[in-house]
Amino acid sequence: MNLVLAALWTAVGVGGLSAVAGLLTPGRFRPAAVGVSVTVSGAAALVAGVAAMTGQSAAVVLPDLLPLSGVLFTVDALGGVFLAITGGVAVAVGIYGIGYCRQHGLDGRGVQAVLPLFVTAMVLVPVAGSVGTLLLCWELMALTSLLLVIAEHQGRPAVAQAGRWYAVMTHLGMVAILIGLLVFAANAVDGSFPALREAAGGLSPTVAGLIFVATGIGFGSKAGIVPLHAWLPRAHPEAPSNVSALMSAAMVNLGVYGIIRVGFDLLGGAADGAATWWWLLVLTLGAASAIYGILQAAIGTNLKRLLGYSTTENMGLVLVGVGAAGMFATSGDLPLAGLAMAAALLHLVNHAAFKTLLFQSAGSALAATGRRDLDDLGGLRAGMPGTTAAFGLGALAASALPPGAAFVSEWLLLQALIHGLPTAGTSAAIVMPLAVAAVALTAGLAVATFVKAFGIGFLARPRSPEAARAAESPASMLTGMGLAAAACVGLALLPTLVLPTIGAVAGATVGATDPLQIDGMTIRLVGVAGSLSPLMLTITLVIGLAATLAGVRAQATRRAARAARLWDCGAGPLSARMEYTATSFAEPLQRVFDDVLRAEQDVDVTHHEESSYLVQTIEYRRRVPDRIERRLYEPVLTAMAAWGRAGRRLAPGSVHRYLGYGFYALCGLLILLVVTR
Amino acid sequence: MLGLWRKIRATGRVAEPAPARPTGDAPVAAKELGGSVQIRHVDAGSCNGCEVEIGAAFGPVCDAERYGARLVASPRHADALLVTGVVTRNMAEPLRRTFEAVPYPKVVVAVGDCARNCGVFAGAYGVVGAVGDVVPVDLEIPGCPPRPEAIVDAVRRLTGR
Repeated sequence: MNLVLAALWTAVGVGGLSAVAGLLTPGRFRPAAVGVSVTVSGAAALVAGVAAMTGQSAAVVLPDLLPLSGVLFTVDALGGVFLAITGGVAVAVGIYGIGYCRQHGLDGRGVQAVLPLFVTAMVLVPVAGSVGTLLLCWELMALTSLLLVIAEHQGRPAVAQAGRWYAVMTHLGMVAILIGLLVFAANAVDGSFPALREAAGGLSPTVAGLIFVATGIGFGSKAGIVPLHAWLPRAHPEAPSNVSALMSAAMVNLGVYGIIRVGFDLLGGAADGAATWWWLLVLTLGAASAIYGILQAAIGTNLKRLLGYSTTENMGLVLVGVGAAGMFATSGDLPLAGLAMAAALLHLVNHAAFKTLLFQSAGSALAATGRRDLDDLGGLRAGMPGTTAAFGLGALAASALPPGAAFVSEWLLLQALIHGLPTAGTSAAIVMPLAVAAVALTAGLAVATFVKAFGIGFLARPRSPEAARAAESPASMLTGMGLAAAACVGLALLPTLVLPTIGAVAGATVGATDPLQIDGMTIRLVGVAGSLSPLMLTITLVIGLAATLAGVRAQATRRAARAARLWDCGAGPLSARMEYTATSFAEPLQRVFDDVLRAEQDVDVTHHEESSYLVQTIEYRRRVPDRIERRLYEPVLTAMAAWGRAGRRLAPGSVHRYLGYGFYALCGLLILLVVTR
Repeated sequence: MLGLWRKIRATGRVAEPAPARPTGDAPVAAKELGGSVQIRHVDAGSCNGCEVEIGAAFGPVCDAERYGARLVASPRHADALLVTGVVTRNMAEPLRRTFEAVPYPKVVVAVGDCARNCGVFAGAYGVVGAVGDVVPVDLEIPGCPPRPEAIVDAVRRLTGR
């Protein structure tokens, strides 16, 4: 038994045990027991993933566990990346959950038993080695996550609505995956992945395209890709924050995993069977998701919804990388394909780290204040310094600026896209510059979004009494945030530690050699000119900042200082109502992108009874509807509702009518039989 | 947009030729400003007659900006205060605070007769006093309202141009 297998079994075993512990331990110890064992399980999964990435592989066959097809687990390098990400997220979220569940009244048997099952299901999805196993684990993951999303349904009606959206969309996605994989398996000897790989060469382009699109719809909806994202900004904010972190940082990745696994591995994305249009589709949808997601996040005011939309954005960026890798691979430019894939995988790792941190710290702020609207938060720096620092760090990591973690991966992605210009054909020559523009626009808007989320939500003065009273979260939550923060800092300063492994996995996935070379602290691209040293860049930035500050300070001390009243337009005193709000901060952006967003706003002025010149109240309302949802989903929902109403007329409740239906149906059937014989 | 450009080209320059440099003595603090004076205007209770004239002084015909003066939107950015009107009870404290908010060296200019000696409002129940009763005044511009040329003249004494 090698290390991968031992660690994987430990992860699954401890996960199963902690589900039992969630059911059996008494209430007082329950969150601690479950939290610690989820962390242990996550750590084991992390070890298994890292071992798999460095070249160890393993396979387990359990023929009797599932009737007919049996269960097959295979651990390989690609699955190892996702295994490691899931494990890492679970480590931080497990510890965080101890304090969070206790504080939030989530220490009931149900939630505490389902949470480890959810983690275990996510660990098993990337190691599934056959169609049956993958579908089983996928469904287990969908069901457990659904139960966790609706954990707080008694408190807020919005949770139940989010749960319905999530349930319907995740199962429609499941149906799409099922169709795709069953069509695939029908053309192979059996449902195991080696058999599928063998069969892929003999598929006609139409069938291969159908499989790719069907599975792409299912996996894409899990990844929250436009236009299948509608569940994501609903379910992520309404779920408890530790669950949001798990879903947003670990679960959505598995959608990307599915696309890579089916497209590159099973269908042989780089081989002759694959078509450029698959990857063009992935890239286009990725770019659209990135821009649309970050636009909605930039003007959103609900903190967790904003983070949910940011997940759509980041998954979009990852799919831009995956799509570009596919396009380069089909056109034969393997070094660039490897580079794009490495950028995508590194961005997945970075996103997992900073989104865990952001959801944890947002959850901590929300738990302390009970408010989720940015316009009601603010001033948390005084009461919750740890949480504020954590969110600030996460915001820096998320905003694609040095020294943030996302900077490195987005830089790699841009390098791949820019260098792809001269090599590929016509479609690439059109798409690549547009993709570069999309990634750049996304990066810029992400900075605005996170400046808003951090500045309005945590700094300045408290905008509500709850925010003013906020107290710091318990040590376990801070520890969870600290772990995720350490990961963010590590990935930002020393990506050179993880990049060789990720580069090798990415290269192997697209069938290329290692696309990156690590030279001490410097990342050098292979095949194209380009190098980056994140640590040196950070040191330079810090030195530059310190020098500027010292210069300003020296300049200031040359003159005599004078204590003066804070300028408040002479009237004073300054109040929190005079501050910038999230709505006003985003207003210019909303104006610029009005053609896309179509915000609905109204102003109601009530005049004084005695004179229409005197204003009594002014009411301003702004709503930014999700336009894709309105155009695409609402007509379908309306049609379905109309269909249902029409069907109701057939069933008025009269027994005679129902007996009549039976009679006429029988007669009709008999007539049909007579006629057709 | 094109119409605006055409209008600009067709109108040309309407500013009157600069009159001779004023001879009156300037406040001491104005000498430290070095020829560039940022001005914050405070309406302490004016009838808006002086505001119209200030608008005219900084308009295209008199064009006070060509002498190095500029109206700014905050006392934190300002070197000088241009105070108009009698100081009413509601504006006394804000005027004091505005004065405190201006960094040193600073100059206060009282514009119009009301600001100098309460003018026709002297003794009215809502009036605290002239500007000089609330903050130290360095320069006064007489007139009800003063002509824009007089305001430009005072501004040029501050800038020394």
